[in-house]
Amino acid sequence: MGKGMAKKSRTGEGPAKGLEEDITDPTHEDEFTEDLPTCESNVGVLFRERERRPAFLEMLEGPGAPCVYMLERVEMVVGRGAEADIQVDSTEVSRRHMRIGRAGTSHQIQDLESRNGVLLNGVRIHSASLHEGDTLQLGNAVFVYHEGQR
Amino acid sequence: MNFFVKFWGTRGSIPTPGSLTQVFGGNTPCIELRVDDALFVCDGGSGLRELGLDLLRRGKSPVVAHMFFSHAHWDHIQGFPFFVPAFLKDSSLIIYGTSPGDTKFHKLLSGQMESDYFPVAFGDLGARVAPDDLGQAGKRIAGVEVRAIAQLHHGPSYGYSFEKDGRKVVYATDNELDLELENAAEVAADPDLLRHAPRRYVEFCQGARLLIADGQYTDAEYANKRTWGHPRATTCVDLAIQAGVEQLAITHHDPLQSDDKVREKIEACRARAQRLGGKVQVFGAREGMELKID
Ligand SMILES: [Zn+2]
Ligand SMILES: [Zn+2]
Repeated sequence: MGKGMAKKSRTGEGPAKGLEEDITDPTHEDEFTEDLPTCESNVGVLFRERERRPAFLEMLEGPGAPCVYMLERVEMVVGRGAEADIQVDSTEVSRRHMRIGRAGTSHQIQDLESRNGVLLNGVRIHSASLHEGDTLQLGNAVFVYHEGQR
Repeated sequence: MNFFVKFWGTRGSIPTPGSLTQVFGGNTPCIELRVDDALFVCDGGSGLRELGLDLLRRGKSPVVAHMFFSHAHWDHIQGFPFFVPAFLKDSSLIIYGTSPGDTKFHKLLSGQMESDYFPVAFGDLGARVAPDDLGQAGKRIAGVEVRAIAQLHHGPSYGYSFEKDGRKVVYATDNELDLELENAAEVAADPDLLRHAPRRYVEFCQGARLLIADGQYTDAEYANKRTWGHPRATTCVDLAIQAGVEQLAITHHDPLQSDDKVREKIEACRARAQRLGGKVQVFGAREGMELKID
């Protein structure tokens, strides 16, 4: 994702516009073409600027489950420690267990040398890019990653 | 000791970008192995371009890369002309052959950069790009034991093993294992029987923490693709079990396979491993995934 995608949402300026209207409305042409080279995706996918909903982690198992953590910041840390952005009160979770950071339209995770590791769909990984529906296990905490919408 | 493996390209045959292949990825083969400070690269498919950019992001210059190629089909070398460190003066790329004096991959890489194909000549690259070889029986490079094995492909192709302090990773792609099974007649009659891989492959992979293997086809697809140079993914499971491999990463996904299709292929592999009583953990190699080898 380039800076074009990150620019302010137009939802604050009035009701969301329909797709038809956007395409045919010449006043939006500049914004439209400006976004083109920043599209990270490839064939047949054209991102439209729309209301943007951040990605989130849905906690299915673990202390406090079920609950949802919105990934609102560019970078967040999951861990047992008080300074963690997403705090999981479990002895099976390290103080700073995993970093999750925005990367383009997706998120990247990295194991911060935790004791019990990070399992992505059951496989212990050091780092990875996330996709919709991925399951993450950190000790006894189980999350499902959901991509945001834009 | 730190030993990391990262997948930069896991797609076989041709880059396959698109919304259906986002999870496992569309870049052609490239694997990065980092053992302490040493960098080893297996194959230079389009994933190599991404690796090159990432090496610059890490800011560790100059780049010194020990490079190994399974073979020189396009999908395994097409990323090389776009590997940015190759254009940087301080970089050093060592291209290994598999036997004494073997410089064929060095020559083939330069061949694809001749003027009819690419605007920058191999000789004009900023980096020092030098041939070396693995000698008769492998070579110790930066403390890592590297060995090669010839495989069955249109060509042939080579698999590589990297071992240090008892931690071993094998990269073995573009290998039609199914054509070399030792009990071919029996397993043709009963597909559920353990398929006996040739002894030399079993020995080569013996005890690997991670085997990264070409598993291009599902069983159903293979029926029409026999002799195309790639095996059934399920046959890799049998090899992994026989070699006592801990983890099996299926890679070189067929360009026709969507993410869902790759998942189905992996599920079939897991079911087979379970049926055969194997302890190997099977997963689909996906772009951007990095493992620590303990
Ligand atoms: Zn190939
Ligand atoms: Zn090939």
